[in-house]
Amino acid sequence: MSTDNTELIKGKVSKPLGTPDMSPMPGGTDPEIPVVELDRPPGPWRVLWKKFSRNPFAMGGLAVLLIFVLLAIFAPFLTSYGPEKIDLMFANLKPGAEGHPLGTDELGRDILSRLLYSARISLLIGFSVAFVSVLVGSVVGAISGYFGGFVDTVFMRIVDVMNSVPSLFLNILVMALFGTQIKFMILILAFTSWMSIARLVRGTFLQLREMQYVEAARAIGVSSWGIIFRHLLRNASFPIIVNATLMVGGAILSESALSYLGLGIQAPATSWGLMLSNAQEFMLIDPMQAVYPGFCILMVVLAVNFIGDGIRDALDPRQQVTKSRRRLEQWRKNYSKSGN
Amino acid sequence: MTEYLIRRVLQSVLVIFLITILTFLLIHAAPGGPTQVMLAPGLTPEIFEQQAKNLGLDQPIHIQYFHWIGDLLQGDLGYTFKNHIAISDLLWPRIGNTIILMGAAWLVSLLIAIPWGIYNSTKVYGLSDQTASFISYLGFAMPTFWFGILLQQWLSLKLDWFPLSDMHTRGKEDSIADLFMHLVLPVTVLALGFLASYMKYARASMLEVLDQDYIRTARAKGVKERKVVFRHALRNALIPIITILGLDLPILVGGAALTENVFNWPGMGRWFVEMATAREYSALMAVTIVTAVMVVIGNLLADILYVVVDPRVKLGKQGGKAA
Repeated sequence: MSTDNTELIKGKVSKPLGTPDMSPMPGGTDPEIPVVELDRPPGPWRVLWKKFSRNPFAMGGLAVLLIFVLLAIFAPFLTSYGPEKIDLMFANLKPGAEGHPLGTDELGRDILSRLLYSARISLLIGFSVAFVSVLVGSVVGAISGYFGGFVDTVFMRIVDVMNSVPSLFLNILVMALFGTQIKFMILILAFTSWMSIARLVRGTFLQLREMQYVEAARAIGVSSWGIIFRHLLRNASFPIIVNATLMVGGAILSESALSYLGLGIQAPATSWGLMLSNAQEFMLIDPMQAVYPGFCILMVVLAVNFIGDGIRDALDPRQQVTKSRRRLEQWRKNYSKSGN
Repeated sequence: MTEYLIRRVLQSVLVIFLITILTFLLIHAAPGGPTQVMLAPGLTPEIFEQQAKNLGLDQPIHIQYFHWIGDLLQGDLGYTFKNHIAISDLLWPRIGNTIILMGAAWLVSLLIAIPWGIYNSTKVYGLSDQTASFISYLGFAMPTFWFGILLQQWLSLKLDWFPLSDMHTRGKEDSIADLFMHLVLPVTVLALGFLASYMKYARASMLEVLDQDYIRTARAKGVKERKVVFRHALRNALIPIITILGLDLPILVGGAALTENVFNWPGMGRWFVEMATAREYSALMAVTIVTAVMVVIGNLLADILYVVVDPRVKLGKQGGKAA
């Protein structure tokens, strides 16, 4: 028998070692073949990583994000100045001044140190907001999509309402009313961004709840919540991950916007948005001050977006489509008499 | 069609109604609430109560809500606490200014994005397509206000080509040319944001249509490629774009707040931030409601237009689902 065939069989029979129904395999499996030791077929995560790691943009994004995370974690070791330390004797130092590689601002605060500590705030807010949004959005979407009916109508009207108010306005409103603490900020940004996840989860659930395995689960008496968490939510998890990744970038942008408007992070704490609003006031003295924080935001958000797109592409089973279209185009060019 | 229209309008009214409740509750759930802000500090408790009574703040919350919504329906948006100016007098001119800015940015971005997106869909992964995708990534990831600040530094402070901020030059008579010069920088900033998404949509929508069977049929029977793109594909590709335009209205209105702040543009967004910092509750409620109404109407129009433009959308049993 051919090796191809045995490969196939080995791949198929993964775990159950020495089960009696091994022998009557079609084609008469050789009992000598060690079926047991083989790897299981690669799981979805493994496939995902394999495709993801082949995407240079996604890997670049991952690297940049990791660098920022490390910089944020080890900020105290990388700079000897606190981000809040005011030293008017050394105000407005140019980049490259002794001890201050990026100079100081109008109050003599070390710019490098402020940048590093701001990374903490931005990353913290970005990931927390995505986390809370996923939590809220999944629960709402799951209930809505699984139970349908009246609950669904109510939830979807709420989503409509939330989508009808510009989220920046809602953020500004709530931050101004409830005070500008970081925990409020996380909750509020999540409060204005869970809707896309809810819609997504609902849509997936509507599709999946008619599947036979769900019916089977119901038939053997699995509870509704059991079906939702064990069977349905897992199947929706990959699109949720993509959406959540992209949400991190959005949250970081929103945080910087609010802080820039004076309704986010407040001095003496520091954030890239806050630094930008400072920098705009002192544009004439030191134009470079406005460049660094914005560049940091751009890099982090770009990195996160690349990662999100990378995951999405890796998940797309039709990834071949682009290739075939290109080939199609070549064919058209070579063989078509009508087109250009 | 009529049934669909009625249902859709009723739905919109319901959404607006829910928004008024949401806004009202938010404002009244705030720590301190309106009472704290409306009244000057240091009043004796008696005067405090008297004033609260005059303003109707001592009544239960649902009564207050009905008062407010009654005024709202008559077009009365209330007064600012500080100077007691009618909010409608302050709001409408600012909305006009915002519309000038956003309209210009929107038009510019559409005029660039749609032809470019269509072109890219015919030359996938070409140089132009890669450039466009690079710009899209930048547009999505760049903080708009940062881009604005950079433009100010470079084109205004350094090269002195365009004015730094505001809508008109102070001390000069308002003229169209002057307004145009003031528009250039903020419009550039805003247009980049729109450009990023519209280009993507136009391209994706075209690609989807170009993949369909009737396009293949058209090519197979020897229709010229240009005719295939413009006559057969474009018409159907534009339909989803219309919906996107309607759904984007919140971003259109809300996105201006930042740019208006950077360029000191006297529009609604900047005013909203000002009012938020001053905790002018009536003004905040008014702006939120007015924007929400604009957004809901925009979505409604987009939906209706969608049905009108696309004969494939059948409104019958599934009419509700299509919404």
